[in-house]
Amino acid sequence: MRGSHRKTLIPITLGVFALLFTACREQEAKVAVPGVPGATKSAASVRAQRRAFDGAPPVIPHKRFGAACTNCHTMSGISLPGVGFAPPMPHARTAGMQGSLRCTQCHVRQNTQDEWRQSEFAGLRQDLRRGKKALLTSPPVIPHALQMRENCQACHTGPAAREEIRCDHPERTRCTQCHVQRTIGEVFVRTE
Amino acid sequence: MTEHNNRREFFRRVGVAASAVVAFGCEGEKQMDRLESEPLPEGVEPSDLKWGKAPCRFCGTGCGVEVGVKDGKAVAVRGDEKSPVNKGLLCVKGYHLPSFLYGEDRLRYPMRRQPDGSLKRVTWEEALDEIAAKFSSSIEKKGKDSVAVYGSGQWTVFDGYVALKWLKGGIGTNNLEPNARLCMASAVMGFVTQFQSDEPMGCYDDFDLCDDIVFWGHNIAEMHPVLYSRILEAKRKNPAMKIVDLGTRRTPTSDYADLYVEFIPGSDLALANGILHLMIKNKQVDLQFIKENCVFKQGIEDLEKIGYGCYGEQANRYTFKDKLSDSSLEDLTKFLEDYTPEKVSKISGVPVEQIRILADIYGNRARKTVSTWCMGVNQHYRGTWMNNLITNLHLVTGKISKPGSGPFSMTGQPSACGTVREVGTLTNRLPADMVVFKEAHRKKAAEIWKVSPDIIPAKPTYHATDMFRAWDRGDIQVMWVQTTNPWQSMPNLNRIKRKPNDGKFLVVSDIYPTVSTDVADLILPSSAWIEREGVFGNSERRTQQWNQLVQPPGEAKEDAWQFIQVAKRMGMGDLFPWPEDDWHEPMYEEYRSFTLGVGKDLASYKELQETRGLRWPVVKGKETQWRYAANHDPYADKAEGVHFYKAKGYGEKAAIIRRPYHPPPEEPNEDYPFWLCTGRVLEHWHTGTMTRRIKQLHQAMPRAFVEMNPADATELGVKGGDMVRVKSARGQVEFPVVVDGRGRPPRGSVFVPFFEEGRLINEVTLDSMCNISKEPDYKKCAVRIEKL
Repeated sequence: MRGSHRKTLIPITLGVFALLFTACREQEAKVAVPGVPGATKSAASVRAQRRAFDGAPPVIPHKRFGAACTNCHTMSGISLPGVGFAPPMPHARTAGMQGSLRCTQCHVRQNTQDEWRQSEFAGLRQDLRRGKKALLTSPPVIPHALQMRENCQACHTGPAAREEIRCDHPERTRCTQCHVQRTIGEVFVRTE
Repeated sequence: MTEHNNRREFFRRVGVAASAVVAFGCEGEKQMDRLESEPLPEGVEPSDLKWGKAPCRFCGTGCGVEVGVKDGKAVAVRGDEKSPVNKGLLCVKGYHLPSFLYGEDRLRYPMRRQPDGSLKRVTWEEALDEIAAKFSSSIEKKGKDSVAVYGSGQWTVFDGYVALKWLKGGIGTNNLEPNARLCMASAVMGFVTQFQSDEPMGCYDDFDLCDDIVFWGHNIAEMHPVLYSRILEAKRKNPAMKIVDLGTRRTPTSDYADLYVEFIPGSDLALANGILHLMIKNKQVDLQFIKENCVFKQGIEDLEKIGYGCYGEQANRYTFKDKLSDSSLEDLTKFLEDYTPEKVSKISGVPVEQIRILADIYGNRARKTVSTWCMGVNQHYRGTWMNNLITNLHLVTGKISKPGSGPFSMTGQPSACGTVREVGTLTNRLPADMVVFKEAHRKKAAEIWKVSPDIIPAKPTYHATDMFRAWDRGDIQVMWVQTTNPWQSMPNLNRIKRKPNDGKFLVVSDIYPTVSTDVADLILPSSAWIEREGVFGNSERRTQQWNQLVQPPGEAKEDAWQFIQVAKRMGMGDLFPWPEDDWHEPMYEEYRSFTLGVGKDLASYKELQETRGLRWPVVKGKETQWRYAANHDPYADKAEGVHFYKAKGYGEKAAIIRRPYHPPPEEPNEDYPFWLCTGRVLEHWHTGTMTRRIKQLHQAMPRAFVEMNPADATELGVKGGDMVRVKSARGQVEFPVVVDGRGRPPRGSVFVPFFEEGRLINEVTLDSMCNISKEPDYKKCAVRIEKL
């Protein structure tokens, strides 16, 4: 176990080095966006730092650009040269969100890096790897809540999708026809 | 390798790389290979967590949340899709809720202040014994009214009920007040004076159904964000819906309004009268509805007699009592002749045309209209009057107690309604609309409590502001403060600063060190929110219950438990006869018995456990959306229309009360040329003791500020970020300037939020208050801005 990590240590370190060069303005780990030459997006580790727990609204990691949030955070996201990839919005269709797009009601910009008082809060870190399959050919189950994430394509297809959760059949858009949400841990047991 | 190690290892590698990059310097942007092999963190699946329901801990909206618990710790939260309040949506405070429990400096043990000022850990036994001894000896030496409890609209129903029963039914003093006196007392008195029963007739469903909604001086976009989302969603579905924002400064709320009306502070009194003047003149009132359902009243209107509660003799004790006498529509019409659009425009600064538009909105009976308000109206030197005037606009047109129409007051705390207004944790009140000065009410309370009716004093003592003045004078010797932070939140703080060796004894129960624990002699650690079982009541009469989901830290204990233990030591244990391990449900059912059969019927504990809350009156398991409305409210004894059955004193009709315009107690002048308005911001709640300990919220809004008009800033020679001194006749504090921020005050007016304990804006505010509710006015005083 230790050995295999050592082997990946060198390429990872080099990769991180390289990416920090690319995105040195923000000095954070970035990865390339597949299919969009030159575009980068934040690494998964950075993604985790930007939210209190998986399911919490991410904070706004960039300065104000003087435009509406949805100019860049469109339904598919866009690549901004020299800045990075603006990921799409997974909840543009949630009831209560369509009327106004009052993004800053939930997403706040970080104006300082201090903590006023230290916190011992350790938020949920979800398993972001593929959902579990019952059989080799079964569709994986949805391992996360669907609330505020009704636009599956936002994270699973297109340039913003991470390799590990990228969908290989984006043309089929009725996702929940085959992928169901795991809502409880137990299995059915007949009790009567 | 564990999840933790795996991640830590990765961050370490990134860290090494990052420091190397810093050493190298940054230059050139090269297309590099993509990094596909970054290991995604292992973690748990949401289905592996234990999820439990609770109402949110912050504002009075009462959003339903589900809290995810793993290994005894709350690790996640999500909006409860089953909650009819928020339907799964939360605001940024709600999405970070569980973090507030885990600040490193949580109070974990009882701490006793030593003569040298330091704190020493003591046992619960020692702490409780000492409180009981101090209470008993003070009562013996100086009387029952020398001890006091100051609580909160964040108390659960249990905490409030125990405090009430112990003080009024055990010790025999009315020295019980909540911070909600600073928050919604004017709304209470508004409803009580007009309907002889507290709390709104409508509910949040009105927001989905109305044609027009008028905000009277409250920034709902930041203070009740989820309700604003609900309103904007309704507007999306019904584009003909109009949103009108009345205010003294532009806020994020105004950005989405169809009409923004800016008025001079205090002139809302004239504006509301001006609207009614036009409605009567234009014959837009519903004479039939008025005849069947309303009476006319007027109160004392003499400015000299009333005063403001902050000058002269009133600054020590403000005991003005209003007296209502009969009036008529003719009287009212004559009285309103003075409020012509032109005259009102002069007082308020609102263009005549806008006053006419407002009159047409309220006067158009084909459209359903909702008025909402919060602190702008309640924290007002004539707060009760403003409540009356807004409700008048609904009563004269019959746009009340109907789906989509009605006056609706919002509350700022999660249980201001449930604990304060319904339990009655105010000096003058008892549960379910009862008051101490009515013998029948005292008798009923004594009967349920199985105590002698003589024990409950018939005379109210001090309202909150007077309670702290009495403490300052020494009339109150022992005070116990729970779940609130008065040494930050009271107005004109310099008046109540604690002096060393004053011989008094102050107990503060809280979850974190605060400005108030700093001056306490004994600090008790409380358990909070899901660390205990609780019940809250929100703004729309919805009572919500939750179970304990996690263990409190250290030796922290429930507030109600703390009271009960001291009561037992004072020989009043009989008041709380329930088993130590199972007292919540039986105590709630005893409290509930006050509410049954009087139109304030609460749901049973079982019903609360099984639902996402129910709106009272709950009769035969069915909640009520519209009070007083035939076919909705089971107590409304009419085939159709409305029946104000609680107003027995008015012949079961509602009172239209005329109220004049009075100028504010303090206005900008040569020495202090600016208006100061104080309030909250989206990220922080009240005095910030919880939200500032949430990393994401603190980092978004790290410090308080003074928001200025750009022209005023230029004239003063300051720009955004510069420090200025905000100074009044009472105190001064320094703040960084914000220009072109979220709020845009008009010229000659500034806004400062009150969350930052290092910059106490309440050292500057004025302790003037509403003549009837005695709620202080935090929204208007005169200040000078000095460049530093």
